[in-house]
Amino acid sequence: MRLQFMLGEIASGIRRNASMMASVVLVSMISLFFIGTGLLAQREVDLAKGYWYDKVQVSVFLCTSQSSDVPSCADGAASPVQTASIKRELLAQQPLVEQVYYESSTQAYSRFKTQFASSPYLSQISPQSMPAAFRVKLSDPKRYGDVASLVSGADGVEAVSDQGKVLDTFFKILNLLSIGAVVLAGLMAVCAVLLMTTTIRQVAFSRRRQVGIMRVVGASNSVIYLPFVIETMVATLLGAVLAIAGLWALIHFGINHLFNHVGNGGDLVSLIGTDDLWAITPWMFLGTVVLALFTAWLTLRRHVRV
Amino acid sequence: MIRFENVTMKYGANDAPALDDVSLDIGRGEFAFLVGASGSGKSTLIQLTTRELVATRGKILVAGKDLRAMPDRRVPMLRREIGVVFQDFRLLDGKTVYQNVAFVLKVLGAKRHVIKQLVPETLELVGLEGKARRMPHELSGGEQQRVAIARAVVKKPPILLADEPTGNLDPEISEDIVKVLDRINKTNTTVVVATHDQGIVDNFAKRVIELRGGTVIRDEQNGRYAEMLAPTSARRTRPAGSPGGPGRPARRPAEDPTTVAGSPADR
Ligand SMILES: Nc1ncnc2c1ncn2[C@@H]1O[C@H](COP(=O)(O)OP(=O)(O)OP(=O)(O)O)[C@@H](O)[C@H]1O
Ligand SMILES: [Mg+2]
Repeated sequence: MRLQFMLGEIASGIRRNASMMASVVLVSMISLFFIGTGLLAQREVDLAKGYWYDKVQVSVFLCTSQSSDVPSCADGAASPVQTASIKRELLAQQPLVEQVYYESSTQAYSRFKTQFASSPYLSQISPQSMPAAFRVKLSDPKRYGDVASLVSGADGVEAVSDQGKVLDTFFKILNLLSIGAVVLAGLMAVCAVLLMTTTIRQVAFSRRRQVGIMRVVGASNSVIYLPFVIETMVATLLGAVLAIAGLWALIHFGINHLFNHVGNGGDLVSLIGTDDLWAITPWMFLGTVVLALFTAWLTLRRHVRV
Repeated sequence: MIRFENVTMKYGANDAPALDDVSLDIGRGEFAFLVGASGSGKSTLIQLTTRELVATRGKILVAGKDLRAMPDRRVPMLRREIGVVFQDFRLLDGKTVYQNVAFVLKVLGAKRHVIKQLVPETLELVGLEGKARRMPHELSGGEQQRVAIARAVVKKPPILLADEPTGNLDPEISEDIVKVLDRINKTNTTVVVATHDQGIVDNFAKRVIELRGGTVIRDEQNGRYAEMLAPTSARRTRPAGSPGGPGRPARRPAEDPTTVAGSPADR
């Protein structure tokens, strides 16, 4: 009986304050959309780190016959002796150095050929001009500098390249973006809380006679509060559903689409997908419920005397 | 049923007390009028009884419960034992007469069949049979007050408090309203009516408790609105120019009923 009565009260409350409820829905939707974006961006960073760091190698390019302008390559192409000593030096750095692959110039050329099949420069490149290289895999990719400084400038080494440097910039940008999204989300959450507070006060004011009667006849606090709390909860949860729909659309039509076009099906892949969205969905709902409950309860305690 | 022991109520630390060392005892099934000038403390006394207010000093017992020792979360239980009627009816506009009365029971979680039985029964008790489906704005003031009374008593409280229930009504209608209250009193309900209405007090000859400046200056059975010094004129004996009590200006100078007994048409 009481449940049915309460549901009726809640429904009529939502109907009477439709515009207020709509604004709560929208503001919570926007703030949750940003929170979701921030969370997904953070996830993208983590996943990308794992993905890329796994591939990060320090490449030690060896001298070719054409690299005589580099001081360490004065003797022309790296001799087998120089090559062997470089390899020894690298292996001496275990366990930081996990693995050392040797890539001959012929191998490098064929990899290049498949990767850049359509490049107009391909015809200008001969197998001899491709440097042989040691691809060094590190156990701790962040310490590539240690290895690089060790072999750069050694005889027979033309150049050392750390892919890590490029990646770090990339991650810094991603990190900044996700922090930005979280800050924005925080501001929007504050807006949402303030709006909820105002709405509840407004609704409580419009129902002050009813609340007054409930108090006078001896309704318990929970019976008086519950309609307000549930109305707020319904509105914010609706906002959460819309926010998640928006995030889904963003991933599905935005990110995946973008990456599929820009990335040539190779290295550049979208790492987050709808799976990641489903992973954060329960947390977003939980956060919404907790925030709405907390705000509603606090507001009612302050503004609806019992 | 309602017992005040040396109760003092101050709204602010520096205010003069609205009630000053009041002691009284209203037993089960009694009917008492609470009279006194404006600002004498009638509403304060009623609000202390429902624990709308908490006394500054003294002990209040209502339906066997000590209000001073009562934690806030027990207050709803206290209020379930008290029905309250206000001067301005306070009906819910969007609901019918029936729904207004049923609202109370629904809020308190009564079963459907209990509601179906109690609401019509109570509407009949207050003389509103046949009007259950009306909206409040389709009722006269007297009828609206009957709805308010029905709403107050539908949960069958042992205590009914009314703060100027006839303040907005014509004299004859006021009579009828007090008759309804009297009928409810006959069902073993303690009834306390705070009023300025000399007509009803004099006609019903119930217990009269008079407050002045926050103290009880008179408490008599079969009392009249004014002291029995001059029964025909019913004029309040009061020093000329003196307000209701120490440090308290009367809010309504027209308090002194120069009108003939039974027609306080100013309210
Ligand atoms: N909320 C309040 N804050 C401060 N003072 C108050 C408050 N309510 C009442 N008072 C004061 O307490 C005193 C008693 O007021 P109360 O309302 O109890 O009188 P009353 O007998 O009901 O008057 P009336 O017949 O006009 O309704 C008055 O002096 C009044 O000014
Ligand atoms: Mg009053």
